[in-house]
Amino acid sequence: MKTSEAEWERVLWKAQGFEDNHIHPQYFLESLRKNPNFKPYTYWSLVFLTCAITQHVSSIFIFLGIFLRLREGSLNPRGLLWSAIGAFCVGYGCWTFLSSARTSNNRKAAVEKRKILTLKSSVLVFLALMSLSPVLRTLTAATSSDSIWALSAILFSLNILLADYSVMPANEHGQERLFSVLSVNAAVSSSVVLASRLSTDAAVFALVLCSVVAFACFPLLRRLIQGTLVAWVALTVVLSLFAVALAAYISDTFTYLCASTLVIVTFVAPGVLMWAQKFKNEIRGPWDVAVPIVD
Amino acid sequence: MERLAIAMISDFFHPGVGGVENHIYMLSTELIRRGHKVIVITHGHKPDRVGIRWLLPSLKVYYIPFIPIASSATLPNFFTSLPYLRTILLREHIQLIHAHASLSSIGHEGILHSHLMGIRTVFTDHSLFGFEDAASILTNKLLVATLKNVDAVICVSHTGRENTVLRGQLFEKDRDDPTKLSVRRNIYVIPNAIVAEQFKPRPSEPSETITIVVLSRLAYRKGIDLLVATAPRICAAFPNVRFVVGGDGPKLVDLLQMREKHLLQDRIELLGAVRHSDVLSVLSRGTIFMNTSLTESFGIAILEAACAGLYVVSTRVGGVPEILPQDMISFAEPEVDDVFRAISEAITIVAAGKHDPMMAHERVKTFYDWQQVAKRTETVYNAVIQSRQIELMERIERTMDLGPFAGPIYTIILLVDCVFFLVLEWFYPREDLDYVEHHWDDHVLAQIQPVSASRHE
Repeated sequence: MKTSEAEWERVLWKAQGFEDNHIHPQYFLESLRKNPNFKPYTYWSLVFLTCAITQHVSSIFIFLGIFLRLREGSLNPRGLLWSAIGAFCVGYGCWTFLSSARTSNNRKAAVEKRKILTLKSSVLVFLALMSLSPVLRTLTAATSSDSIWALSAILFSLNILLADYSVMPANEHGQERLFSVLSVNAAVSSSVVLASRLSTDAAVFALVLCSVVAFACFPLLRRLIQGTLVAWVALTVVLSLFAVALAAYISDTFTYLCASTLVIVTFVAPGVLMWAQKFKNEIRGPWDVAVPIVD
Repeated sequence: MERLAIAMISDFFHPGVGGVENHIYMLSTELIRRGHKVIVITHGHKPDRVGIRWLLPSLKVYYIPFIPIASSATLPNFFTSLPYLRTILLREHIQLIHAHASLSSIGHEGILHSHLMGIRTVFTDHSLFGFEDAASILTNKLLVATLKNVDAVICVSHTGRENTVLRGQLFEKDRDDPTKLSVRRNIYVIPNAIVAEQFKPRPSEPSETITIVVLSRLAYRKGIDLLVATAPRICAAFPNVRFVVGGDGPKLVDLLQMREKHLLQDRIELLGAVRHSDVLSVLSRGTIFMNTSLTESFGIAILEAACAGLYVVSTRVGGVPEILPQDMISFAEPEVDDVFRAISEAITIVAAGKHDPMMAHERVKTFYDWQQVAKRTETVYNAVIQSRQIELMERIERTMDLGPFAGPIYTIILLVDCVFFLVLEWFYPREDLDYVEHHWDDHVLAQIQPVSASRHE
């Protein structure tokens, strides 16, 4: 018996004198590999990566807080406008500093050119928003507020789901992936419909400008900051605390909601992911589509 | 052995073209030659491939009016096929159905329904699937449910069998030690075959140029990226090498771009789609066959090329390492450098005249043969017919084992199917069926005087 088992070969072209349903106990599934690329996560590295989501969620909470306070009239639109412009300038400064540290010398000229373009387009956006704000204010006058809340909730969920939380831009040209473009669009549309619930043109303008800064410009900056540990953690803490503080002005429920969401996203979710990792069962074998190595 | 009435069920059959279609036709033909009665059940093709057709030699094909959704596969309907299948299987006095291909839902439905009429089931899996992407996960779920209650499974290669066993969860409790799981005993490996006479090498004048033939669908899974990356390097390293590429597909653009970029228009010939009848004439233009597939269950194209006397270079994927002896094929890992190395070796071997096409043909002829395949399949049929039919209760238990969600769903499908069958039995009783009394008989045909002859008198 032993010798005949040894004679079996894993070939089809010759008759080997075995039944067709013969299963060789040693060779059968010998090349099966389970979880070959398994890397157990460490908790703190996951928390570090999750900070991107925390920051994004806090920026949405901050935005909602600003909106609610504008609506009840306890926030001056002019002050908000200036702080949004200030935040943009500070952020732009950081962005220029960080990206110039990364680019090599021979691309400096291109970067300079892009700076002027960026400045031009931001002024354009500014003016366009200013002229459009009366239109935006009355845009959904005929729609009931309940529909607006539901719509903006859906759009913000879409924004959170599709946002790009990865470290570096998708490719070297800095082009965005389709999902992150969709995500930004969802957030801006959501803020536009929310802004239409406000009563003055100045408030609408300030809120939409806020949303452009928070949802279109901030994610670009966020990626660059992720390289430095201290700044990354500090930014997360500052944003979360700001979100909670702003929520505390509005209502207790909103505060609890905001705080618990941030804690769950930052600390509980990575734990859940680590726990779920033990159910990982990846099966690999010769039947998989090979990945061609083409240089 | 006794004469069996067999129904082949698959979505993939003539007029579609492909490996499964050819396999079913060749197997049916050989089984008919061995004295069995064989019919084929498939879905209709617009505009006029409907109803019942006959194919040579005396193969009856039922085209059921189902509409294919994508690449000739129909939607999994579960129940809608029962009235058609019941009538066909009963009127043809079928004893055993043989379903083909895991993407053919009509085959799965055949397996689901046939136990109601006491018909036994065999399933042949022709392809390899992964476990990761959404499409594989869905089809694997369907496959698991079907294979729970099938009487025997046939796979075309050893790698294919391992894959099917894992995908279909074909394990059962060990007979000696009930705590352990072992692979079910009714899973067979029976390879494909080729008609060697159709691939006789054509003698060619000896020449300095070496032609490399590539015949494949130009798609990602066929590794055309590797071809695109290696072909310019080979052309640069060997000035006497030419390429002939047959096939069409989405990657054709990449090939055209590569040819243009490296100015190889006179050395790489692109033929476009090649009909199966022209394969030999394309193959016989070359001396080396190059296959860069990233996944392959059996690789019939490689076999055809080897049979036509070409030296084969292939990537080491799927079931390819099993089909030919080491000295007829060179393997490469799916990497550009390694493919280049393997091709260079093959060119050296061929240039030195160490590869004799006629001898290769004679050898391959002895390896694979449809008669052998039919004989081995017949053994499987015999074992199935002699085995015990799975009772309904056992079927339900096995189906419930599928899992907390899939189990109850499939059990409900199984039970509803039984009820539907009873309704059909009542609504359309067996006595009213139009049974087939006569099958094709060559002797009767031979005795009848041809009409043209009688007219001349």
